[in-house]
Amino acid sequence: MEELILELKEQIIKSLNLEELTPDDIDSKAPLFGAGGLGLDSIDVLELIVLLEKRYGIRLTSAAESKDIFTSVESIAKYVSENRKK
Amino acid sequence: MTNSIAITGSGIICAIGNNKQQVQEALQSGTTGIGEMRYLPSCHKELPVGEVKMSDAELRQALGVSSTEVFSRTALLGAYALSQTMDDARLNPDSLRGKRVTLISGTTVGGTEASEQYSCGNNTKTIARLVGIDCQLSTISTACSSALNAIILGARMLLNDETDIVLAGGTEALSVFHLNGFNSLMILDHEVCKPFDATRQGLNLGEGSAYVVLERTNEAHLRKCNIEAYITGWGNRCDAYHQTASSENGEGAFLAMTDALQMANLSPKDIDYINAHGTGTPNNDKSESTALKRVFGENMPPISSTKSFTGHTTSASGSIETVICLIAMNKHFVPENYGWENITQDCIIPAKYTAGKELHHILCNSFGFGGNDSSLIITDTEFAQCSTPKGARAKCENEVTMVVSAESELTQEDELKELRQYISPMESRRMCKLMKAAFLTSMRAMETANITKPDAIIIATQYGMLENGKKILDDIDQQGEESVSPTLFMQTTHNTLAGSLAIHLGCHGYNITYSQGEDSLQWAMRDAQRLINEGKAKTVLVGLHDMLPPTFKDFLESQGDKVLFDLYSKSIIVKSL
Repeated sequence: MEELILELKEQIIKSLNLEELTPDDIDSKAPLFGAGGLGLDSIDVLELIVLLEKRYGIRLTSAAESKDIFTSVESIAKYVSENRKK
Repeated sequence: MTNSIAITGSGIICAIGNNKQQVQEALQSGTTGIGEMRYLPSCHKELPVGEVKMSDAELRQALGVSSTEVFSRTALLGAYALSQTMDDARLNPDSLRGKRVTLISGTTVGGTEASEQYSCGNNTKTIARLVGIDCQLSTISTACSSALNAIILGARMLLNDETDIVLAGGTEALSVFHLNGFNSLMILDHEVCKPFDATRQGLNLGEGSAYVVLERTNEAHLRKCNIEAYITGWGNRCDAYHQTASSENGEGAFLAMTDALQMANLSPKDIDYINAHGTGTPNNDKSESTALKRVFGENMPPISSTKSFTGHTTSASGSIETVICLIAMNKHFVPENYGWENITQDCIIPAKYTAGKELHHILCNSFGFGGNDSSLIITDTEFAQCSTPKGARAKCENEVTMVVSAESELTQEDELKELRQYISPMESRRMCKLMKAAFLTSMRAMETANITKPDAIIIATQYGMLENGKKILDDIDQQGEESVSPTLFMQTTHNTLAGSLAIHLGCHGYNITYSQGEDSLQWAMRDAQRLINEGKAKTVLVGLHDMLPPTFKDFLESQGDKVLFDLYSKSIIVKSL
């Protein structure tokens, strides 16, 4: 799981263009969205959906149902490890 | 000198018909043109689209053009519609001689192909060439409001005595590029769209082209032509909220409609029908409904969206829907909002098909990505007052003096890190190099001119957002259609820069993007002068921004174009004296 979490952090930094951040800067349990979080927005949700499809073969069909999956890096890692096709 | 603007001809080609007669029949019989993809070579056969029912070969044949020269589908559709429009107005290349003629076309997809050297302006040039006319050209690229803005510009140029005959409208073909782009934003419906319906899931893309001929009324009378209607009001505003979503209170739409009513000297209850933008997305329909309720309140006229007939024809939608309004006005019917069934508190309740209805004043809405919101009012011959639209200045002796108050130019990529002084990393993380450059020179110019927010933003760009466009094309090439990044796609339309600047500055004023090759900046500066003359702005942010990734540079050079720069950004603040 640790390996997947690190991999996800690197992927997130890359696809969301978080140029100023390194994986160490992202707390696996911290909220990604909203106040007190990393400050991501609705476009970032769409990018994460593309990331999950491209990298792990997981197809999500609506942005709304994805909200819970993307609460934190840890929640994404859990979902990916249970549903990945690649 | 007072004068009104007459519409003396029109033409259309779209999913429900290749001419006005066919379009009328489809609207009146309730037959949609949206269905399974037949011509577009995309793997997404599950996405319903509104295709024109002619292949490129059939369009070429109809136009009598050689089968060996390559033409973009966007140019073929444009030429087909324009040719029909000129016939309708009883104009031909000979009858245009000796008159000042201007062709103004709105497009985004036109200009994404090698056949047009990636320039929107070339798409318009090609259309003029195919139709056989030699005239002044302008191309507007403000995403889904492009064609409506083209018509508005035409009206203003006529009132300002800059031209005698205007051919205005737009053209857009379906493309694998933008189908996948919209898909990545998850706003496409997998069924035929249902604007304003509680169960709506999104839009269906469509394609087509439509143009209108505009002339000053007294000259139209001299030419003894048939006047279909008059243009009596318009509004061009910016929502300044988000690149691809509309604000909750529909501010840009509200302002555009309000401006149009004021200019036409009408109150909300005078409007007999509204052709809504009504794309079928949860966001647009809710936002537009909110704006409509703010403007019309208790006096809600019949409203419908015709996008469930034609699909969302993006840059051409403003003129396609204006021509649909002309058909409705002249044949006395209210088009239905095809497919609507379920009421929702979120949205207006659209009208049903109604025959035998006199429509004296019609309002047409066109809202684009980047918050470019425009509205147009057309009035029938019986009700037109034949006076100059209020607040649209007729040409007068003394122009308002416009001065350049500050200028900032940039050509070196390594300067872009200076943007830090103005924009935080979280905000600039999505910006491509061109956007960073545009922001940097804009901020610097505003600082020098000592303004925090201009009244209007007018941007010129020859090639638009090539860096992003190229990345998407490469991704599709290498990884297939599923790989399109929404962040990239939402920043590929030419008006991305103008929209982003407006969002950052909170500027709801006039907002437009010109893309006419080397003449782009000239068109932008002329428009700033015109706007200041009209009393609509005291300060305008004007810019010319272009970036050429290496492969484009090589390509253009191979075509014989002289390429002078890799990156160029110039921002100018002009003020009225």
